[in-house]
Amino acid sequence: MPMSRMNSPAVGMDDDGVAGHALSDFLLHLENYNPSIPDSVVAHYLNMSGFESQDPRLIRLIAIAAQKFLSDIANDALQHCKMRTSSQINQNSKNPKGSKEKKYVMTMEDLVPALQEYGITARKPHYFV
Amino acid sequence: MSEAAEKVESASDARRRILNIAVSTVLLETGFDSADKVALETLTEILQCFFTEVGNAAKGYCELSGRVEPVLGDVIMSFVNMGISIQGLEQYAARPNRHVIQPPQQAPAPRTPAMLSAGSKAKPAPHIPFHLPPLPDPHAYIRTPTHKQPVTEYEAIREKAASQKRDIEKALTKFLAKTSETHNLFNTDDNQVYPLIACKPTFPAYLTCLLPTDQVFDFDELEYHFQVANRTEDMPPDKKDNSDNEGDNGNDDTANSQTDTQDSQAPPSPKT
Repeated sequence: MPMSRMNSPAVGMDDDGVAGHALSDFLLHLENYNPSIPDSVVAHYLNMSGFESQDPRLIRLIAIAAQKFLSDIANDALQHCKMRTSSQINQNSKNPKGSKEKKYVMTMEDLVPALQEYGITARKPHYFV
Repeated sequence: MSEAAEKVESASDARRRILNIAVSTVLLETGFDSADKVALETLTEILQCFFTEVGNAAKGYCELSGRVEPVLGDVIMSFVNMGISIQGLEQYAARPNRHVIQPPQQAPAPRTPAMLSAGSKAKPAPHIPFHLPPLPDPHAYIRTPTHKQPVTEYEAIREKAASQKRDIEKALTKFLAKTSETHNLFNTDDNQVYPLIACKPTFPAYLTCLLPTDQVFDFDELEYHFQVANRTEDMPPDKKDNSDNEGDNGNDDTANSQTDTQDSQAPPSPKT
């Protein structure tokens, strides 16, 4: 049914028709993949905004989309972090111990530019008075 | 009310903490070893806003097309609206190293203790619809008298009043015989056999008959009169010890005659 509704308006809906087709299959496959976020928590936040669905697959779809969104941001922040630490390691190149373990810490310095690319401007105060 | 606010906050805190855990899981999968608290909180806030926004937009699209239950198409449209691509979703879902968080335990709702109910609740009458709540405990609306109705027959009341009066008199006379002064019929010292309540003569004795009053208006006057009644100067000496006067035992006769005249002019009040 969603496929037919999407296919009926004519202009520029071909991609969506294909996507709708793929996603209805995806929804069937989705039952095998469990998202990291529990269903009840996601359902609660959706209910708070008025979205009530009896279909758990829909909830899982939203959960996985959110997870992917977060992991994309995290990947970008990791890139920033690696760029920063690699530049520091190049400065401290005389290191007789060999390759030490690199521990990546996610800080606001990496997160803010990563969010900037997604259009989210995060400005946090450094301290609270 | 603060308790209710605290409970609501703790419930949202629990969910918020789970979101925190989920964000940390994602960061771990990405390759981070640790994160700043500020950064973690920012990402949790972003996640919560994501859910709220998707829910709002999907509900809007669903209602726009005249439906009540959202469908896959509504969710897709809201993703498109927010600029979230759906292309790589399946590959992402099938990634090898994924952790799943345990769903939170549901705390059992506190039941009101059954010990507060007394008696069995009555069945609702047939004219009451079944979807209304059950009737309360019967003692809440049924009144049972706790005492017998008093007897209202004239004879019984009359008899009761007479016997009460007799009992009261007997008890009072016994009490006075034991506590106040007593006369002795016989010429012995101990007086356990037949005590008589001592009669306290007033001076002058005819005064109460001449001046009738039925109410005491001034208690000072009454006290004064009582003092007058207990004067021991005119009594025979063997009765002086029995009177309950405190200060008058040392007066001589001249003082007595003076006080006599004063007392006759004193404002009279009867001894009740």
